[in-house]
Amino acid sequence: MVQLEVRDVHKSFGGMHALNGVTFNVHGNELIGLIGPNGAGKTTLTNVLDGVHKPSRGEVWFNEQRIDGLPPYEIARRGIGRTFQVTRAFRRMTVLENMMVPAMALHPTARQRDFHSRAMEVLTFLTIEHLANEYARSLSGGQQKLLELGRVLMLDPQLIILDEPFAGVHPKLRDTICQFITTVHAQGKAFIIISHEMETIFSLSQRLLVLNFGQLIADGPPQQVRADPVVIEAYLGREEETETLSGEEEHDEHGK
Amino acid sequence: MILRNYRQWMATGLLIALFVFAPLYLNQYPYQMAVITGAFFYAILASSWSLLAGTAGQFSFAHMALMAIGAYTSGLLGRDLGTSPLTGILLGTLLAGIVGLIIGLLCLRLRGAYLALFTIAFSEILRIFLLTEYNYTDGSNGLKLAPLYAGITARAEYYITLALLLGTLAFMYWLINSRFGLFIRAMREDEDAAAAMGVNVVRYKVLIFVITSLIIGLAGGVFYHQVGIITPNTIELLQMSLIVAMAVIGGMENLFGAAIGAIISRIALELLREINILGLHVELGAWRYAAFGLVLIFTLRFAQNGLLYPIIDRLFLRQIRQATVAKRIPKGGQNGSA
Repeated sequence: MVQLEVRDVHKSFGGMHALNGVTFNVHGNELIGLIGPNGAGKTTLTNVLDGVHKPSRGEVWFNEQRIDGLPPYEIARRGIGRTFQVTRAFRRMTVLENMMVPAMALHPTARQRDFHSRAMEVLTFLTIEHLANEYARSLSGGQQKLLELGRVLMLDPQLIILDEPFAGVHPKLRDTICQFITTVHAQGKAFIIISHEMETIFSLSQRLLVLNFGQLIADGPPQQVRADPVVIEAYLGREEETETLSGEEEHDEHGK
Repeated sequence: MILRNYRQWMATGLLIALFVFAPLYLNQYPYQMAVITGAFFYAILASSWSLLAGTAGQFSFAHMALMAIGAYTSGLLGRDLGTSPLTGILLGTLLAGIVGLIIGLLCLRLRGAYLALFTIAFSEILRIFLLTEYNYTDGSNGLKLAPLYAGITARAEYYITLALLLGTLAFMYWLINSRFGLFIRAMREDEDAAAAMGVNVVRYKVLIFVITSLIIGLAGGVFYHQVGIITPNTIELLQMSLIVAMAVIGGMENLFGAAIGAIISRIALELLREINILGLHVELGAWRYAAFGLVLIFTLRFAQNGLLYPIIDRLFLRQIRQATVAKRIPKGGQNGSA
């Protein structure tokens, strides 16, 4: 059972306060959406959770162990996996080698062939098994996103943080990613998903966190957050754009 | 070494046989034999630099300096304390490894150009130290080193250096194809992503510096006991640039490419000292480095994986790519769920 506790986390870069007293918990395999305008602190929060940044103040506990200040590799080994806003596949390594890196890092005495069938299972699920022996650099942007999802799964994390998994992807690929998330979630993994794709994130998440100027301004079920006037005002700024939060504007854009 | 088909066995075997039996012919040409022995030494330097920079992505320019630490330590211990060359080489190798460890630790947060500048500065400081502290180092006159053993022949030196080259290549090849190699390649591609995947980047970054420093410290000690003298000019930037150029021409991301590139380049540089064109005798002197530079420019522009890489890829890497991690994928893929 995943237990993540973020307690009054602050993060400053010089005079700029990226996170300002963020507190929330994750219990069990929740599927959480993390939204907020650009510069709200979403990626900084992700970086604090996975150890890239040490919080200026506050604590992060994962499964009853304090993890803030631990290096990223140690946090990854303890069960928090992540993907990046801009896809960061190991480009001059094959798809299978990409998949082997987390598996080997997690199991110091294992051999690569011990994880071959698992890697192929994951790649098949992600529909890129035919690319297993290709260099990652030869994959399309969308395929690299899928590879990154597969790679994080090889870490067998309890909590998966996805930073903008739907950004710039084809609708068909977005469906594949959504299917990946729901299937893996059903297998007991918790998710924190950062996204600007309102329609997708509202329909996918069980719970939404809203950040604005480094502060958590809402935490609750999507329907409740959607109707929260503080979120509407802070996130959108103008009342007439309320429709965007409900996804109606996107409906219009797509001509639906 | 993991050789996976007859072509690889054949190519490797032929190349080794060529070098093993070459002294039968070269015995009557001691100068040429010495040039090839030197080429083997450069091959160790270029291949270990390709491991450090090409495979692990650590663009260090302290390679020659670390090599010189091995050689100078051994020479100074022999001169001042009377230690045997073997003991001196072992202690020199150890000291090169320790300095490599310190550089690795100091450079943990340095990448790309910053790492290059740091290591250039380190090399220059060492070179100036060796030049100015001539009371200890014999300065620009050079430090004399005793032969590896009394009565050593050019042929023995040739075989010792060849054995060292083959041994270090085999070791580095094994390393690259191990878990260690997987991690340093991931680190080269993206340190943050590798760390997020559970790789202890700090450990592997330091380890790769230590390992390559040990290799070149050993090579430096052994080789300069054969040459008999080492000067501070050995670590000037031009020499380091030659190593980089050799590795680039051979294929920076490939040990064998870098090694063969170094051997060919070193021999070519000797052949280019004097050339005959249509009966006209030309002494190229320093201009041969310009020709070498042209080859480098051509390589960087048209064959970024090195001039030898396509051949090596065909013989060695294609099969390894398909087999190191796993078996071939069955037709139609496999069914399964995440």
